[in-house]
Amino acid sequence: MAAISLSKLNKHYGSLFHAVKDVDLEIADKEFVALVGPSGCGKSTTLRMIAGLEDITSGDIRIGNRVVNDLPPRDRDIAMVFQNYALYQHMSVYDNLAFGLRNKKTSEAEIKAAIDRAAGMLGLHELLARKPKQLSGGQQQRVALGRCIVRNPEVFLFDEPLSNLDAKLRAQMRIEIKRLHAAIPTTSVFVTHDQVEAMTLGDRVVIMRDGRVQQVGTPLQVYGKPANKFVAGFIGAPAMNFVNVTVRSDGVATTVEADGLKLTVSGADARALAAYHGKPVIMGARPEHLALGEGAPGASFDAHVEVVEQLGSEILLETKVGSHGITVARVPAETVIARGDRVRVSAQPGRLHFFDPETELPITG
Amino acid sequence: MPIVSRPDFLPGLPKWSRKTLFALALFGICFAFAFPVLWLILTSLRPESGVYYVHRGTEFTLASFAEVLTDDRIVSAFLNSALISTLATIFSLLVTVSSGYMLSRFTGPASRIWFGTIYVFRCIPYISWVLPLYFVTQSWGLYDTYTGLLLPHVAVHICFFSWLMKGFFDGIDPSMEYAAMIDGCTRWGAFIRVAIPSALPAISALAVLCWLFTWNEFLFALILTGNRVPMITVVMAQFVTEMGLRWNLMAATAVMALVPAFLVALFGQKYVIRGLRI
Ligand SMILES: Nc1ncnc2c1ncn2[C@@H]1O[C@H](COP(=O)(O)OP(=O)(O)OP(=O)(O)O)[C@@H](O)[C@H]1O
Ligand SMILES: [Mg+2]
Repeated sequence: MAAISLSKLNKHYGSLFHAVKDVDLEIADKEFVALVGPSGCGKSTTLRMIAGLEDITSGDIRIGNRVVNDLPPRDRDIAMVFQNYALYQHMSVYDNLAFGLRNKKTSEAEIKAAIDRAAGMLGLHELLARKPKQLSGGQQQRVALGRCIVRNPEVFLFDEPLSNLDAKLRAQMRIEIKRLHAAIPTTSVFVTHDQVEAMTLGDRVVIMRDGRVQQVGTPLQVYGKPANKFVAGFIGAPAMNFVNVTVRSDGVATTVEADGLKLTVSGADARALAAYHGKPVIMGARPEHLALGEGAPGASFDAHVEVVEQLGSEILLETKVGSHGITVARVPAETVIARGDRVRVSAQPGRLHFFDPETELPITG
Repeated sequence: MPIVSRPDFLPGLPKWSRKTLFALALFGICFAFAFPVLWLILTSLRPESGVYYVHRGTEFTLASFAEVLTDDRIVSAFLNSALISTLATIFSLLVTVSSGYMLSRFTGPASRIWFGTIYVFRCIPYISWVLPLYFVTQSWGLYDTYTGLLLPHVAVHICFFSWLMKGFFDGIDPSMEYAAMIDGCTRWGAFIRVAIPSALPAISALAVLCWLFTWNEFLFALILTGNRVPMITVVMAQFVTEMGLRWNLMAATAVMALVPAFLVALFGQKYVIRGLRI
């Protein structure tokens, strides 16, 4: 049983730099939480505070039912995987795996059994006698995972463990980590700057910016109901299109207008935007929620194709609407289309997002 | 990639002539360094009457070596130099490795003060340490003792080589130590069991440098020791007597002093190169 609880967690570096600001987070036992955000937002710092590698400026960290603020890392019953693997270079793979257990004075027979089991799960048997330098990046990262699971800790911490791997291997390791978590359910915190990793791995995703938590939610929640404009733009690839529009109403229908664009919004959106008549708002439209062709009445606009990205399975279009750049995704791959074409683009009604330009919070009814 | 094929070395000349020129240049440089040593060896093998005409005679003898090796003072100077060099290396490594580690990994006030201290001491010219050290060793009764020579040497090593060690540790990724701390080590344990083993090539390189430094050192040895603790570099200089210069004996001693230094350097070379690379 090891839930993790962070309350009012703060980290100052020196007197000037406030790296982590009032982070509150409850992670349930056996839950897999992905911590995601742009570079420098304080993800690693937060993780390292949970690990005990970084002092806490203020706030509390609990693991299980203990406050661990002042416990050294070795007493927190955690294991951590680092971006650069951090294997002990001077030891064989076997000794790397055995290191933590030997420190706990486990008998060699038990160590051997634990390593056998871990090596079987991760396919490490042929590598046990080698030194880390003789392994590829993917193999090293598997050893690093193995080093964590042999110890059977309460908590796994991952700090961008896949970012040194190439794209294909990263996808494989992602699946491997997922499988591992299913086989040995253990509370896990996974730091990444890659939102795809966060979404695919996390039971819940925590999005951070400038040291603050922006939103905590399941992948579906953060995708479908982003807590602010930042989250909306950060989650989802290709990123959401943002257009500054003005809300108009003729008493019957509510429309949002920008140059080259006039869309009639759905009933629910109209109610939400009631307080904004005549005012500017930010409209967000996900590229995958736009399509070529005439859609519902009042939901289409003309666009000027600037870049055609053929992906084989689909086409990505970079278009210009008035002065706004708009990306359209999921265009069928066989569509005949070229730079310079004029196309009709329709938005799926009810899937538009609106944000207050000042607070950047979503406008909901 | 061999240096010879770098395009910026005398472009325009045909390849073979570039190579030849380069080889000649290399040979010239090596010769400039090796010549004094060759001359020294030649001198040590000549009889006393031939030392001023080293290049002419054809008469060679090992008499100078025999004479030097039967001189108790010279033999004990060898032993002293070897002992002091080895002890100084061991003691200074103990401090230098931990101090370099501290400078590299910790940024607190203690680390900064220590950094400032060795920086200041390093900036003081070497020669101006000698006289104060002479008075201090005199008044503490350490003059002409092992301790009296050892301590200043260790101090100099620490000031000069902590920087080098800091540089080595800066090149080693600290996350290995963090992993060790999570795996059940204390901070200190992570240093001993993970950081030191991974810095071993660098530490070996440092050991070689320390040892050679003390073995070759002259100034401290001259001022801080008298008759009880003769050091090889000092004894060598003492062949310049009122009765004249005993070049052949000096050369024989110098050749013998070269041997351990040469061996240490030869054995340590691979560590020095590897150590300087990490
Ligand atoms: N030891 C330190 N001293 C001062 N500032 C630091 C220190 N470590 C990190 N920072 C700063 O704290 C902020 C957060 O750093 P952190 O490493 O947590 O970022 P991150 O979200 O993990 O980013 P990345 O994705 O680049 O790893 C950064 O702006 C960084 O410059
Ligand atoms: Mg980071």
